[in-house]
Amino acid sequence: MRALLLQIVAVTAINIRSIPQRFWLSLSTVVAVALVVMVLLSFLAMANGFQRTLKSAGAADIAIVLRGGSQSEINSSIAREQVRLIEDGPGVARGPDGKPLVSAELYIVVDGIKRSSQTKANIPLRGIGEEGAALRKDVTLVAGRMFNPGANEIVVGKSLLSQFQGFDLGERVKFLTSQWTVVGVFAADGSVFESEIWGDLPVVQSLFNRNNVFQTVRARINGPAELAELKRYADTDPRLKLDVKSEQDYFAEQSSQTSDLIQKLGWPLAIAMALGALAGALNTMYSSVAARSVEIATLRAIGFGGLPAFVGTLTESLLLAGIGGVLGAVATYLVFDGFTASTLGAGFTQVVFSFKLTPALIGQGLALALIVGLIGGLLPAIRAARLPIVQGLQG
Amino acid sequence: MNDFVLIRKNLFRKKLRAVLMIVSILIAFAIFGVLTAFEHAFNAGEQVAEDDRLVVVNKINFTQPLPIAYFNRVRAMEGVRLATHANWFGGYFQDPKNFLIVFAVQPETYLQVVDNNYDFTPEMRDAFIRERTGALVGETLAKKWGWKVGDRVPIASNIFSQKNGSRSWDMTIVGIFKNRKPQADTNLMLFQYDYFDETRSFGKDTIGWLVLQTTSPAVNDRVAKAIDQGFANSSFETATDTEKAFNKAFVAQLGNIALIMQLVVGAAFVTILMIVGNTMVMAVRERTREIGVLKTLGFSGGRVLRLVLGETLLLALIGSLPGIALAAVATMNMRESMANFVPNLSLGPSILATALVLMIGLGLATGLAPAIHAFRLKIADAMGRG
Repeated sequence: MRALLLQIVAVTAINIRSIPQRFWLSLSTVVAVALVVMVLLSFLAMANGFQRTLKSAGAADIAIVLRGGSQSEINSSIAREQVRLIEDGPGVARGPDGKPLVSAELYIVVDGIKRSSQTKANIPLRGIGEEGAALRKDVTLVAGRMFNPGANEIVVGKSLLSQFQGFDLGERVKFLTSQWTVVGVFAADGSVFESEIWGDLPVVQSLFNRNNVFQTVRARINGPAELAELKRYADTDPRLKLDVKSEQDYFAEQSSQTSDLIQKLGWPLAIAMALGALAGALNTMYSSVAARSVEIATLRAIGFGGLPAFVGTLTESLLLAGIGGVLGAVATYLVFDGFTASTLGAGFTQVVFSFKLTPALIGQGLALALIVGLIGGLLPAIRAARLPIVQGLQG
Repeated sequence: MNDFVLIRKNLFRKKLRAVLMIVSILIAFAIFGVLTAFEHAFNAGEQVAEDDRLVVVNKINFTQPLPIAYFNRVRAMEGVRLATHANWFGGYFQDPKNFLIVFAVQPETYLQVVDNNYDFTPEMRDAFIRERTGALVGETLAKKWGWKVGDRVPIASNIFSQKNGSRSWDMTIVGIFKNRKPQADTNLMLFQYDYFDETRSFGKDTIGWLVLQTTSPAVNDRVAKAIDQGFANSSFETATDTEKAFNKAFVAQLGNIALIMQLVVGAAFVTILMIVGNTMVMAVRERTREIGVLKTLGFSGGRVLRLVLGETLLLALIGSLPGIALAAVATMNMRESMANFVPNLSLGPSILATALVLMIGLGLATGLAPAIHAFRLKIADAMGRG
């Protein structure tokens, strides 16, 4: 047993030390696997980053109220009477002063100029109520101050500022005939809220000629029981006919569509490319076996078994693929992790998000690399183990 | 034995190696084909756009409405040959998941303005103009739901509702139209603006956007400026752009799709370039002695060079043809399920032309180094080795 192990170690060492003799061919396998892993990981990091941006926005203790069947904020509309009914509805939490913790909001799509492409893109301008900022998770002002009620002032999200021009602190922005001043920049833990512009609801309503028009209502609720209660109320009262969801569910629904699409593109592409890389790996390993056939046969002739030749070849293949996988993961991390991009989200406005690699995703990438190495090494390794001695010695 | 037989025999001397190289080339070309088809489909809007068509939208954003009165004002402006208006309906059929592309349009003028894209028969036109609840349905959409002329279908909206509280509008299909340009998408439905405007519960007398045809592309800039200045400082300011620029900006909202596609295709081609290139270098090196023999027999350096390049070109051809065929089959299969995201997914002639260029480029790039090596090889060196 010990002898066999020693044989395996010896042959594997020979295999690995012979790699420089096939340097370019081996390198092409390493690069091929690295590129496969890079493609896969960049798609997965994109999907993951998008999902985090939306999911981290969703709180379980906030309810979103939309018009029945409207699916997203842009299509929703809620009348003033309905807002009042929700404020007095069951399950809605109240502040120390007894006022309901509710923010009725208006969601207007405006044009912004994307820094990267210099083209117009949809960005959301949200008129929020007094409680609006407090009803969102982890909102902090990173520069300037909050808008004053009644003033033509806006605050902009940090992510939006990074991707769109013309919204720097102190800048004046013209929408329609009115001038607005950017008085603050806010952060919200990298969530989708950072892709928005906020202003005072009554001001936004009046300057956009939307008096008494609302699109959503956000309300603080104490728990799932209260959410169910509010839902039942919205379903049964004929004046309401509204959809009530927890913010968590709402954003989970919105994120799944886009991130599923990205993943559905990434995996088939990576698998197709992995097949190409597999052809390369098989080629390299068959060449390796062919180049060493005299050596393998000699070892067999002096009493080495077939197993060491098998293990040696397989190890060489796994090593090359493994190096490729690690290189691919490192390159993806260096190039794409934290890379910021934006795309059209479910609200028909730009969602700014960052690519995010996680150890679990890197694990998937390395697994794919090792599968390529395993399959790419297996058949050549079998050939190495079965090589007839006489034929091998002839070269 | 002519040169082609030599090339073929050389290529398949080690069958497994040749097959593996063919597989990797096949996959790279399949990836190229599918991704480029996607990219073209995304940009189809830019391709169907006519140079003399302008789009007028609300300056705040194209989702904001404009007053209907703008239609007649723009129509009367100098340099405007034809104008029409349309409204996004947010339609779906039976279930909100079955989202449909539906526009409420001004019948006479809309059909005139998009006449270059779609083939509307005179009967369709007449019926669409006459029938208040009439709808024209594109071929792709009609096929998807099995709709026929004369069918009455309820189309719901996720934005609008009727004054009577209903979310859905009954429409009678009065025509099913085909496209004139292959890139023009027929996964859409048109119905009368008047029917829509009179029955909806809010937004009366507003429209989504105007599309107009100028008397010549040369006056585009002047007309666009005149329109935007004419409505400046009103409560509905406009932004006028060519249809091409508008469609391009819209696609750009999704992100830099072209760049993503190029990066992936680039990665796939770098991979095969390395694999095939290195394998060919090795294959020719193994044959050093043989090349010496060929040269001894009187084969010129140029002929040996052609033999090696011929081999890599043949390899590229055998790999890329099934790759492109695979891509064509894959895009055909995805065409229907992707119709709402990317219309008219197909492998057009321009993609095939690019594939041809890539194929030749790949054949030359992978063969060049070993071919030059074979060309320069001296008989004495070749016979002395291996």
